[in-house]
Order: sequence, then structure tokens, then C-alpha cells
Amino acid sequence: MDIGVTTYTYLVYLAISIALTIWVARTLHKNGRVFLVDVFHGNEALADSVNHLLVVGFYLINFGYVSMALKLGYSIATAQEGIEALSVKVGMVLIVLGGMHFFNLFIFSRMRRRASLVNGPPPVPPDGFTQVREA
Amino acid sequence: MSGLTVLYDPTCGLCRRAHGWLAQQRKLVELVFVPCKSDEARRRFPHLDHDLTALDLTVIGDQGQVYMGPKAWLMVLWALSQYREWAYRLSSPELLPTTRRVVSLISQNRYQISRVAGLSR
Repeated sequence: MDIGVTTYTYLVYLAISIALTIWVARTLHKNGRVFLVDVFHGNEALADSVNHLLVVGFYLINFGYVSMALKLGYSIATAQEGIEALSVKVGMVLIVLGGMHFFNLFIFSRMRRRASLVNGPPPVPPDGFTQVREA
Repeated sequence: MSGLTVLYDPTCGLCRRAHGWLAQQRKLVELVFVPCKSDEARRRFPHLDHDLTALDLTVIGDQGQVYMGPKAWLMVLWALSQYREWAYRLSSPELLPTTRRVVSLISQNRYQISRVAGLSR
């Protein structure tokens, strides 16, 4: 029975964590596309490609964390202990997912700002004009 | 604007050093370096007051726009892929007075700075 509750806790932890990761990754994938299309000046093929690569990285890091954080280090006797352990574990996964999500948003907005700067006008007006003879 | 000509002071160590650094940077706008008061500079810009260009950094756009002093520094920064953001930041109304002061200070003391930093030949 002792091993039973611990194992169930692990299984529930995995189910919740995987579901959450997939949900966040899909949200990112769906809503990040618009940003990327804008960044790449309407090049949808490139935007889709980068979007996909970003989501793969997101999955790898999050599943990696979920997997590493699985072990409890103590055994669980009752359902109450199981739920308590679960809340801590799932809470950590949520915080990591949130951090990763904001990091991704930061990257998107940074890429977008960089791209908009490429066509930016000169920062200051000229002091005057002179005739230019070709080199 | 697709190109900027930078008229720099070849007699100042700091300027030569800056030239070397700029040459390595990734650019959004092409930079051409011409020593100020040189025959090349006079040939390219026949109507420019070349004595003035020796006093402070001068940058000239491909349509003949003349930028002098702090404005020239900002234009060079603007030409660099990695620092365009900084050009906008430093030219904002809040920071422009400080930028002008700092740039003028460095420009006016460029020979002393070169000597202290061991950059003069």
C-alpha cells in the first residue's frame, strides 16, 4: 500500500505536468506566430520554421525539468500526503513553465524590436548639406 | 540612407583606435573612412569647410547631409547593427544634453586621452 500511494502520486504528477506543458507550448505556438511573421517581414515559411524550433526547445527544457523533479525522496503513506507532495511538485512545474513562458515572450518582443530598428530613420537631423562628388 | 563618410582625425591615437574598432563591427549602413583635411576629403566634398572638420568628428551622408560633433557620433552609432538602439536612446530629449557634454569633453581632450592611454604613436 505504501508504494502504491507514492506511485499514484508520481503518475498523477506526470499526467498534470505533461498536460500543462503541452497546453503552454500550444498557446505559445499559436500566438507567437503573429509576432514572428511580423519580425520576418511577412516571410511566413521562415516564421513557421522558427516558431516550430522554439516550441521544440520549450518542450525539451520543460519535460527535462519535469523528469528531473519527479523524485520525491520520501515515501507517502496517505492520500493527504500524496496531495500535499503533488501540490509542491506541480507548483514548481507551474513556476518553471511561467518563467519559460515569459522568457519566450521576452525573446519575441526583443526580436520584433530589433527588426523594427533595421529600417529606423537617423536619430538626429543634419546640421547642413554639402555637395558630394562620387568617389 | 545607405552610406556614411566619416571624416576622422588621423593624427589622434584614440580616433585611429576607434576606427579599428568600427571596422570590425557589423553595420546596417556602410561606413567609409576618410582622413579629415586630406586631398581625398577635399575632392569628395569641394564645398565643405575643411578646417571645421579638423575640430570635431564630421560625418556626411550619401545625399550630402552634414553631421558634426555629437551628432556625428550618434550617426556612427546608428550605423552599427548592435548599437542602433543606443543611438536612439542617447539622442532622446532626456539624454541628448548629457550625450553632447560627454562627447564634447572626449573630443576636446582626445590628444590628452590618447597620450594617457598610450595610444599616440
